[in-house]
Amino acid sequence: MSAYIIRRLWQMLPTMLGVVLLVFFIFNWVGGDPAYVLAGKISNQEQIDNIRRQLGVDQPYWVQLGIFLKQIVTADFGASWSTNERVSHILLTRLGPSLTVLVPLTILATLISIGLALAVAYVRGSFTDRMVMIVCTVGLSISILVYIIVFQYVFAYKLGWFPVQGWGDSFIQNLFVYASLPILIGLVVSIAPNLRLYRTFFLDEINQDYVRTARAKGVSENRIMWIHVLRNASIPIITFLMAELPGLLLGSFLIERFFSIPGIGREVILAVERSDFPVIKAITVYVAFATIATNLLADLTYKAVDPRVQLK
Amino acid sequence: MATDLAALRGTRAPTAREIPHTVSPGLWTLAWRRLRSDTVGMVSLVIVAAFILMMILSGAGLIASDWNREVGVNYAPPTFLGEEATATAPASITLPGAGNAAGATQYKSNIVDPIGDVIEALKAGKTPGEAASTGTLPPPETAEEKSVDPLAEVMADIRKSEASKAAAKPVERKATLPFGGDKWGRDVLKKTIKGSETSIFVGLAAATLATFLGTVFGAIAGYFGKWVDDAFNWFYSVFSSIPYLLLILAVAAVLQQKGIFTVILILGLTGWTGVFRLMRAEYLKHKSREYVQAADAIGASNARRMFLHIFPNVSHVVLVQLSILVVGFIKAEVILSFLGFGVPVDVVSWGSMLNEAQNELILGKWWQLVAATTAMAILVTAFSLFTDALRDALDPKLKGRAGA
Amino acid sequence: MNSPKFAGDPLVAVRNLRVSFRLDRQTTFDAVKGISFDIPRNSTVALVGESGSGKSVTSLAMLGLLPPENSIIDPASEILFGGRNILGLSMGELRKLRGAEISMIFQEPMTSLNPVFTVGWQLEEVLRLHVGLSGKAARKRSVEVLREVGIPEPERRIDAYPSQLSGGQQQRVMIAMAIACEPQLLIADEPTTALDVTIQKQILDLIADLQKRRQMSVLFITHDLAVVGEIADYVVVMRNGEIREQGPAKDVFEHPKDTYTKALLRCRPQLERRPARLPVIDDYMHGSGPKHTEERRRGVAPGDAIVLDVKNLGKSFYSREGLFGKREFKAVKDVSFRLPKGKTLGLVGESGSGKTTVGLTLMRLHEATTGEAYFEGKDLLSMSPKEFMAYKRRIQIIFQNPYASLNPRFTVGQILVEPMQIHGIGDSAQARTDMAFELLDKVGLPEVSFYKYPHEFSGGQRQRIAIARCLTMRPDILICDESVSALDVSVQAQVLNLLQDLQDEYGLSYIFISHDLAVVKYISDEVMVMNEGEIVEIANSDEIYRDPKKPYTKRLLASIPKGWQGARAAD
Repeated sequence: MSAYIIRRLWQMLPTMLGVVLLVFFIFNWVGGDPAYVLAGKISNQEQIDNIRRQLGVDQPYWVQLGIFLKQIVTADFGASWSTNERVSHILLTRLGPSLTVLVPLTILATLISIGLALAVAYVRGSFTDRMVMIVCTVGLSISILVYIIVFQYVFAYKLGWFPVQGWGDSFIQNLFVYASLPILIGLVVSIAPNLRLYRTFFLDEINQDYVRTARAKGVSENRIMWIHVLRNASIPIITFLMAELPGLLLGSFLIERFFSIPGIGREVILAVERSDFPVIKAITVYVAFATIATNLLADLTYKAVDPRVQLK
Repeated sequence: MATDLAALRGTRAPTAREIPHTVSPGLWTLAWRRLRSDTVGMVSLVIVAAFILMMILSGAGLIASDWNREVGVNYAPPTFLGEEATATAPASITLPGAGNAAGATQYKSNIVDPIGDVIEALKAGKTPGEAASTGTLPPPETAEEKSVDPLAEVMADIRKSEASKAAAKPVERKATLPFGGDKWGRDVLKKTIKGSETSIFVGLAAATLATFLGTVFGAIAGYFGKWVDDAFNWFYSVFSSIPYLLLILAVAAVLQQKGIFTVILILGLTGWTGVFRLMRAEYLKHKSREYVQAADAIGASNARRMFLHIFPNVSHVVLVQLSILVVGFIKAEVILSFLGFGVPVDVVSWGSMLNEAQNELILGKWWQLVAATTAMAILVTAFSLFTDALRDALDPKLKGRAGA
Repeated sequence: MNSPKFAGDPLVAVRNLRVSFRLDRQTTFDAVKGISFDIPRNSTVALVGESGSGKSVTSLAMLGLLPPENSIIDPASEILFGGRNILGLSMGELRKLRGAEISMIFQEPMTSLNPVFTVGWQLEEVLRLHVGLSGKAARKRSVEVLREVGIPEPERRIDAYPSQLSGGQQQRVMIAMAIACEPQLLIADEPTTALDVTIQKQILDLIADLQKRRQMSVLFITHDLAVVGEIADYVVVMRNGEIREQGPAKDVFEHPKDTYTKALLRCRPQLERRPARLPVIDDYMHGSGPKHTEERRRGVAPGDAIVLDVKNLGKSFYSREGLFGKREFKAVKDVSFRLPKGKTLGLVGESGSGKTTVGLTLMRLHEATTGEAYFEGKDLLSMSPKEFMAYKRRIQIIFQNPYASLNPRFTVGQILVEPMQIHGIGDSAQARTDMAFELLDKVGLPEVSFYKYPHEFSGGQRQRIAIARCLTMRPDILICDESVSALDVSVQAQVLNLLQDLQDEYGLSYIFISHDLAVVKYISDEVMVMNEGEIVEIANSDEIYRDPKKPYTKRLLASIPKGWQGARAAD
């Protein structure tokens, strides 16, 4: 077991290096000289020269790569090109608001989706099943933008049930006042795809031989669904969730943007709009590292929930 | 290889043997028969085909080529009944605001309400001062547009050049339009058609690119295994470690030059990973199947086994993946264009329409939002249902597992 | 076909059972066409039939386990159990019956057990449901039952997950679950088909033993008459959803009345006899009876010409383990043998014995780790791939699964012409097509087959196509890797006859790999027994069966189902 973890950690290195190279390629090679990017954004020539010197633009590529690696290791990406805020400070302060929305959203969405998917899988092939699937398909085909625009307009602007936007300092206030409409929208858009996916997980399990054995033992259909099938289907569901986690951090960037929630996702959009490379680079690299780490975690979880898996 | 392949495919009975026979239907024919008997699938197929036809016609300039013309009054409401009161207006300076006084005042009043500020604040590139400046009713086509529309400057340029052309003769402008009119009185119906051209083309082209890359990489990695597989797997894990959206946005950030092909490249080059994973698994599975081992035993070369033997047996997976990606990329393009990272401003897409519609909704001008949303929803729903039907037809074992 | 006469008041009476399946909106398929039979108390009834006979459908109907969405049971059908019609029970009543009064075990123990719960949990579940035991009492009872079915160290194994047990132990756990609540009827649906022959023997003995001890009834479903010969009291023979014959085992085995039953009994190769041709169903159903029943002599002589000389063949697979470690798994260890021209070498062993790997390595579908294989004086294993190409067509292989070994996207014509194109056999497309037609005729398929796709053929026909494909290359050696194992007994006989005919006509040499000892005995001149990658024993086939030298061979041979005669002879 520990040998497995050590080997997996060792194997993570090439992937991490690959991520660094890819990001470096995108920003230092494709992106080119920041002076062109910054022209018109920063008028102060001295400041531009300073940035160029920091990046080592006139140095060979390997020196630039070295600078980049040092930035990653020391977590010091300097200051934002637009606001002069420290990049590390940006990352740390934006994480909280993102999680305030995402943690409850993910938990609620997963629980609701599992419940609904089990119910739909139970009546598989029925009229209800088909209707739910059609509603899901149609719901999925409407852009998330439309949900946000319409929900914000109707529930916040017209009806005034929720604040139109904003974010405060109190966690409780943020969670129950400012985050509630974003969470609601997040639920609406994430339940449809999850429901469809989980339903196929359940249907796959229902067709397995062990379900027939359980029936032959005299186990009731309810117990088969809630104990036998759910326990088995939880394996692909957990694997799927673990793989999704890092992406979720950004997944709600549109919601954050519309509701002015100062989270990571909104920061990315702002940074892209402002061509604020240090911020994008830092977020990209660290989110990628987080993904690689969660993949390992996912494998270990997989091992924990599936007795068939032997990690060597 | 090629001639060999053709020869094999073309193997037919020579005339010397006259036995009564019909060549049996192959698996593709059988799949097509199954698809044809699937009503939902066929209806979806017809809808998708209609959209694609619309895209081609629009791309060829046969329909909606004049979407950029002002044919109605500003925010002309939609009607299908044809209450077509026309108004003659000098098209140049008075365009945006003055043509419809009520609209202008309502708009002004909304600028200062909270959500107006929200939207202002969200337009990151703009300084807050601009929003405040609207209090003093500035010349319409500068401050007003700038305050709500990130594309304002460019649009103004476009409009100016157009206006100068249009200024020569007065334009007939209708009070209502079938799908309504936008801020400048352009026909929303034509914009929707033109927008579908962009969105569908981007979706199809990017999905084709991503599927092609994913299939080729996956086939090579899965078939050859060993270090080749390790190399491609490394490449894959690097790409899939960076969340897809972040990768797109990062590439969008550094690519200064925008265009339809840039969007296609971004989506295509970042979107191959899912197809790769599936195709690698398929090739891994099929290469140890007995029919491939049998092909090895009769002396078939690697290329022959990969393309002639295995590929036809996994091509249904490719087709379904392509179909899924098209839907995904149409949605992605809409979001990118909405944010202004997608297609350039002089190209209309469903995303840029939603962007405009976002602000119009507050004025109660819902029609552009509804038009773009409905068009997209119909297409994407049809495409998804078609994908489900396609999968059921190609792989009947899976029937009823996913989707409606 | 009316109510059969078995002694006493039966435990179960099946009356006029009629089941059909809805295939699509218009078509239905009649799986069981109005059958009636009894299961007497305290006895074993064997329900025998080939694939598609409706035997499994019948057994599932007894527990109400048929899929409700597409199965239709005729309202006039009855399955009477203790005076009640099972088919008319409510879901709740049915659940009380399942696992308590009637229980069932299945063919694949691996997938039939829930992989994520421990053995103990699954056993305790059935006890809790039907007997109301829980906690310590349930655990104690579970350990007892596990001990009863012969699980070693049941106190420890009770906390194991199914994947941590061997296939035989998994099936024992299934049986433990089935008998935990002391049911009156145990339905065993092909319970040994997925198991190795020695394990099969143990499970059969266990079921027979439990039946006697518990005084319950067993409905044993199988395709293999030989398996039930030893344990059945009554036999019901089914074909195409109908009962062909039923009665006490003695009557059915010794004096079969139905032609199909007769054929089924004779098609399967027997250890004692080796007719020149195996009888096939058609001989009985349409013809005058079996032909060419004279004994065929098989065996190798020291003077036989050697076509393939294999020396010290070894094959290892590697898996990653630990931090940097690799673990070597030796699938084949130091195997040497000689294949005489025109003769058959039988290769027998249980799963994991390395017998298939030997075949694949000789064809270089796997690269050998060590060893040589001399063919016409040249070592096939050390040649460059280019050089090997010329020899490739000389050794061909027929795989086990006829449904997987033909490319579903090719027509039979394309399948047959492709190897000729690759190896430049035949001067023109015309010549190749002619040859393909000739070979189709040779393997007994109509000429129209040329234009058809594999999915339009049955398993036996597909295996003929695979054989024809090999023949296009005019090979010297044919490796048959479990080539008849997936086929029904009657079809198996036809394919074996075809292989013998071809050997007679072309002087082919066969390496015949199989786990089925009776088939190997029938077709082979020489038999090589393998275990854990090593050769246990090689000898002439008659000799090895008559007088096995090594303990492993003895054990293997003792496990062969003896059938009716064999079982009586042993008494």
